[in-house]
Amino acid sequence: MKRLLAFFAVAGGLAVGACAQTSALNPAARRLVILKVDGLNADLLYRTMRERDPATGKSRLPWFSHIFGENGAEFENFYTRGISLSAPSWSMLDTGRHAIIRGNVEYDRYTGYVYDYLNFFPFYIGYARKREVDMPGVEVLDRAGIPLLIDRFQYPQVLQSFQLYQRGVSWVSLKHALERRFSSKFLFATVESTGAPTMDEVLAQQTEHDLLNGLKQSRILYLDFYTGDIDHEGHATNQPAALFFVMRRLDALAGRLWTAIQDSGLAAQTLFVAVSDHGMNNEPDVFSQSFSLPDLLNSPEGGGHHVLTNRHQLQEFKISGLDPLVRRVITPSTASLYLAGQSSQYPTAWLDLDGNERAAAHLRNSDLNKLHILLLQLSRSGLAPALRAAAAECVDETIGRHRSAWTRTASELDEELRALQEAIEQRKSTVAQEPRNRTATQQDRGEDKAARRQREELQSWERERAEYASYLAHLRALLAFRADRDQPFRGSITRLIAENSLGDNNTIRDLQHYIVGPAAGGLVLDASGKLDEARSFRFVDYFSLLVSQRVRNNPQAALSAQPIDFVAARLPDAGLTSESDACRHAYWLYGGPRKQLLILTGSEGQIAVRPVRDLSEDADGKIRASPLNWEAGLPLRLFEDSELNLPPGIGRSAWLSAWHTESEWMEAIHRCRYSNGVIGVIEELSPVEDNVPGPSGLAPLLLRYERRRRELVQPDFHVFAADHWNFNVRNFNPGGNHGAFFRISTHSIWLMAGAGVPHQRIDKPYDSLNFASTLLSLLGFAPPIPDRVVQIK
Amino acid sequence: MESQLQGQLLDSIRKRRMRFKVPGLMAILLCGATACVAADVPDQRPQTAAPRENGRSTYYWQSKSIGDTAQLLTLFCHSCRLGQEDGDVPLVAVLRDTVGDNNPENDRVTYVWLLTYARLNAGQRLLSAVPFFYWRVGSGSKSGKDTAPLMDLTAPMHPVLSEISRDLLQWTTLDPLTMPVRASSRAYRTNSNDYERLHLQEAIGYLRQAPYSDSSSELTHSELDTVIARLELRTRLLGGFASQRQAERFGAAAGFEQERIRSRNWELLRQCAERTGLLFEPLTLAGTSDQYAVLWLRLGASPPVSGVSLGPVWKLLNIKDPWEDERVRNWRGPVFMRALDESGSFAPDGFPGARQARLMPLAVYSLNYPKLPLLLVDFRDKLHVRRHEMTQRAINEITSGVIGISHFTNWYYYVAADLYDFVVSRHGAAMDTSARLDCYSQFRVELALDHSLNSDLRSDIQIRVNSLAINPLEGAVDREVQVAKTRYELLEAMSDGGKFLADRIDKERRAELADFGESKKARAAQTLLHDATFGVYTHRVKSDFANLAELERERRIQYQLNFLDSLAQAGPRPEVIYESSRIRASVNELSGLMAGVRSKPVRAHAATTLAEIQKNSADAELQSDCSFALAALKGNVGSARAGSGAMVAALPGGVTASEAAAAVK
Repeated sequence: MKRLLAFFAVAGGLAVGACAQTSALNPAARRLVILKVDGLNADLLYRTMRERDPATGKSRLPWFSHIFGENGAEFENFYTRGISLSAPSWSMLDTGRHAIIRGNVEYDRYTGYVYDYLNFFPFYIGYARKREVDMPGVEVLDRAGIPLLIDRFQYPQVLQSFQLYQRGVSWVSLKHALERRFSSKFLFATVESTGAPTMDEVLAQQTEHDLLNGLKQSRILYLDFYTGDIDHEGHATNQPAALFFVMRRLDALAGRLWTAIQDSGLAAQTLFVAVSDHGMNNEPDVFSQSFSLPDLLNSPEGGGHHVLTNRHQLQEFKISGLDPLVRRVITPSTASLYLAGQSSQYPTAWLDLDGNERAAAHLRNSDLNKLHILLLQLSRSGLAPALRAAAAECVDETIGRHRSAWTRTASELDEELRALQEAIEQRKSTVAQEPRNRTATQQDRGEDKAARRQREELQSWERERAEYASYLAHLRALLAFRADRDQPFRGSITRLIAENSLGDNNTIRDLQHYIVGPAAGGLVLDASGKLDEARSFRFVDYFSLLVSQRVRNNPQAALSAQPIDFVAARLPDAGLTSESDACRHAYWLYGGPRKQLLILTGSEGQIAVRPVRDLSEDADGKIRASPLNWEAGLPLRLFEDSELNLPPGIGRSAWLSAWHTESEWMEAIHRCRYSNGVIGVIEELSPVEDNVPGPSGLAPLLLRYERRRRELVQPDFHVFAADHWNFNVRNFNPGGNHGAFFRISTHSIWLMAGAGVPHQRIDKPYDSLNFASTLLSLLGFAPPIPDRVVQIK
Repeated sequence: MESQLQGQLLDSIRKRRMRFKVPGLMAILLCGATACVAADVPDQRPQTAAPRENGRSTYYWQSKSIGDTAQLLTLFCHSCRLGQEDGDVPLVAVLRDTVGDNNPENDRVTYVWLLTYARLNAGQRLLSAVPFFYWRVGSGSKSGKDTAPLMDLTAPMHPVLSEISRDLLQWTTLDPLTMPVRASSRAYRTNSNDYERLHLQEAIGYLRQAPYSDSSSELTHSELDTVIARLELRTRLLGGFASQRQAERFGAAAGFEQERIRSRNWELLRQCAERTGLLFEPLTLAGTSDQYAVLWLRLGASPPVSGVSLGPVWKLLNIKDPWEDERVRNWRGPVFMRALDESGSFAPDGFPGARQARLMPLAVYSLNYPKLPLLLVDFRDKLHVRRHEMTQRAINEITSGVIGISHFTNWYYYVAADLYDFVVSRHGAAMDTSARLDCYSQFRVELALDHSLNSDLRSDIQIRVNSLAINPLEGAVDREVQVAKTRYELLEAMSDGGKFLADRIDKERRAELADFGESKKARAAQTLLHDATFGVYTHRVKSDFANLAELERERRIQYQLNFLDSLAQAGPRPEVIYESSRIRASVNELSGLMAGVRSKPVRAHAATTLAEIQKNSADAELQSDCSFALAALKGNVGSARAGSGAMVAALPGGVTASEAAAAVK
């Protein structure tokens, strides 16, 4: 009997222990509801939450205050990592991984393919035609093998709203939204002219309706609601009352969601989260002014480029501006020095202006310009024989200088395309075996979408193969080309220099001596009978050109007449001198000849910042710069920033120049005017291929191919606007903008409540990378970056 | 050099002025002389402004009590220009019926007077019926005796019905008659509609600058928004049918939209100036900032070096490229000396390194037009804007008046015309006649009131703006401003002891009392009856001493119902967004007040609202109060409530209905 009792006691103890262990492992949260707010600045939200409305006796944002302020966790210092733009920022929030999407639009330098992450229309149309299944951003992440947060849930468990990283389209929501749009109530409001809701508002109403219904179903474990209203309003106006009006609507929405969560069966296990991707540089009484980079690059001063953008300039004043499918818009230059009338074939400057406070610029490889100019000269029959011979020699030398790199590129790309071709054949056979029709159960499991995803990827592969093969053919033709020293060039330039292609990225030296056309006096020989390149071509130093811009019409005293704050570019790893031996990568911020910063990263991830002047790259690719003492006025304004939070007893110069971990930097600088800019620069400019893991089981050649594709969309340099300036040319954003590292632009919201999250205010600074890892951890999933999990106690 | 410039300036002004009538010669010469002096004096410059909230300090309210139960609130422009002098100008008056207490809950704004607005005389009306007559004759009415309000806010639907009746009369009776009848009747209607709109916009413009507060001497924010909204809605087809809540929402949204438009146009014009090598300068006029801007050309400067065609930009600006304009090379018009810095930007006084430069004003724009900056003044072509207005008007008169093209039978013409307008406006043309009129309306009065602008520039602009008056009904704005003062004095006198305003208020109150508790159908029928009898019949209760107390009670009911409705519509858990004690106080007050209400629609409304609040709330005490109030409405505790109503209202906040009922028992 005793033995029996002892057995039961032991068994019971083990069972209790096992239960305890299980409950320790089981997370409190099972369901996740995220309110995704585009462009909501945390200072604005938190300040308004804490203000009391005398009329109501409650907070001015009573629901936010009730849900998160009184019952949840508030992250006081949560920042966008990298540039404060929607596409990159949401990609990090939605994946918990480092950014591989680094702009709202990206261009493939070899093929000219446009990755337009913000345009929903082509996606809707493609989806309706059963050609596409995911938004472009999701496709890019899928190809890179980076799963979304929603991918942790099964297809039937997910109810996702309309957003940038969207899988599929809920036609039911759209259909019902259209029904609402044409309801009698709506039509009456239209006739009454009392402000009928827009399609966006109607869609938001329908999405909310679907979400509230979804909360009643216990099978749905992931729900989100994305709203861009605050972002739109913040761009349009800086009026506090107008922004508050939109925040009140958001607050009411949060209240409805929270109440529905509380009424649902999974109330105790539901984690309710509000997050924004970036802030907004809204300041009452200050209009944000635009500086037109296309105008500058079109002008003779800027090089007379034909400029490619993804949207029409002043699109509201063009019929073509109505085209919702637009991806490529070329603004020809009337000042082009050698490509007049060839804007559609040879746009030589490609801009991502969607960043507003930040622009990314891709310029055609300067040596391709040189070759193009020389080939045009060589095709002239009247060219003096000596000049012809010198020009031909220069062509050969230029090609020769690139021969090894181009040969390697051609060979590697060829290998990758062959591997891609194999993958295409395999995928074709897989797709051919797919059943044409799916049962309702299969559709509920999302199998039809998965199949469509495979087909869509196949189409992309085929397109890419053709486009890269074309580029490869041009590269090979160029490698095989020998300029005739006696006869005019009779071949076709388009056979040698690919149209709508920029070639390889420019080096720092290229950008400091960028060839924009032949010199006014034409080709000139030096004393030795060679082509005098310095006198034969017209050059532009883009760093100095951009930073020296001044605006005549600047009626606001709060704004500097200098619209460009600084230009940022990555330095070649191979070019780093012995002085910076410890560093793995280096990034250069140019604010003027004597206002430059180097941001260095070490092999262990540590960071140092050094002021320099007169940085240049010599012909051998070596970077040279003179050290500078820390002083006020350098890019990021760290030295003079009163919010710089350093450990006691250490001087600013010493601390800033020394190596520190990323978290030390974050603690020190996050309250500064440029917040986490030092970390942001690294995130934005670091080699992107390091962040592409590739889908599991991907062949090494195809992984290299995917990494190449990501590397090919990296711009030559990024331009950052001065405070309250922006680069928007599509329409007008006088209210405010974002994109840069200003704290007001990067300071975002992150609030959590429910599922046992205790009430607390978290002061420690965090950034986008902490978000998904923390949520997944709370839900019991493996976080993508475990050391990024915030311990909620 | 400067004396040469003065000579040119004087010469040009002389030449221009000679075209006008002799009586104005002396004044013009005086202006010319002032202009010459001004050209020499750099500190006499157009007032510039950085973007900021419009200066509300320029405008203030003055309150006057009417028989202790109402207030006449008048909006004044502080130190504005009044003819040749500066002074405080009364602009808009509103009547607020306070029912004689200090409780804002039962206040109503009932009338709006635009003090510059006068009824038209017969001669003006006759001329306005002459097709293709696009000139203003005389300066308008001198009489300040007209005290008709611009709008009766208690019956916003009446003008809509009148408008619809007039439309029907036009389509069914006048249009089928001979061409002269059709053309003249249409010309008259267009002119009178434009005239009314002109003044509605004028009033809106003033009210947008008006300060607001919860003090008894100013309108509250909500009242101001509602008044503006009602005036705005008056310009819409069926705007008069918008409910009170819709109007409030519309008012707030319209204000935001106006700011969005303004800031967007500000930036568009600045960008255009930058691209075209011009100088952009926002204007401050009569306390408003960033609503207008001037583009300047620096004489003798080089044109900008651009890499793109600037044709579309000039099209957007609606002016000719001055860099290639012979008129600029031979310019004899006004020239101003201004300080510019090294980069050619405007520099403040005493800015180191600033240099004086000769600037020519090119154009003045309104930044209030919905899509783009609207050209108001083209300094090189005085008739530019007028020509455009006349052409568009003439086309309309030919098609609808002379030819008789109808919207119903010739709809394809209008579809084609709309398509054309759409295409042209996509290329930067301002095709919206009404919106243009609105911008013009605001500019003309703000310019007339302003005294901060350089006098030469202002008089030059004034001459050009006057040429935009193509409506024979329109008066001279200077005259209107002067008459406003007389009209205000009359209104003030009437509020002092005259019966006119008191009678008017009494009638409104009796109509409001009669309206309270009526069903929607009954209201619609009475409105139709009122309009069918051309306003002779209005449904009112009889005069009674108890009316005021009754009205006060009903307004409180309405207030509490509105408040609770807004909470009910806001969704679940009203106690989260409003302090529970306040909601309960409202429920209890409503419950008490409802005891004397017999109207079924009102009782049903209250019951629905209370049930909704009860359902949404998770606060046990609030739920209990709602239950009690609902029970009282159903008559279960009617007797208790009947006695307790007044008491509950008088009890301190936080006392529950149940406690109150217990106290009564």
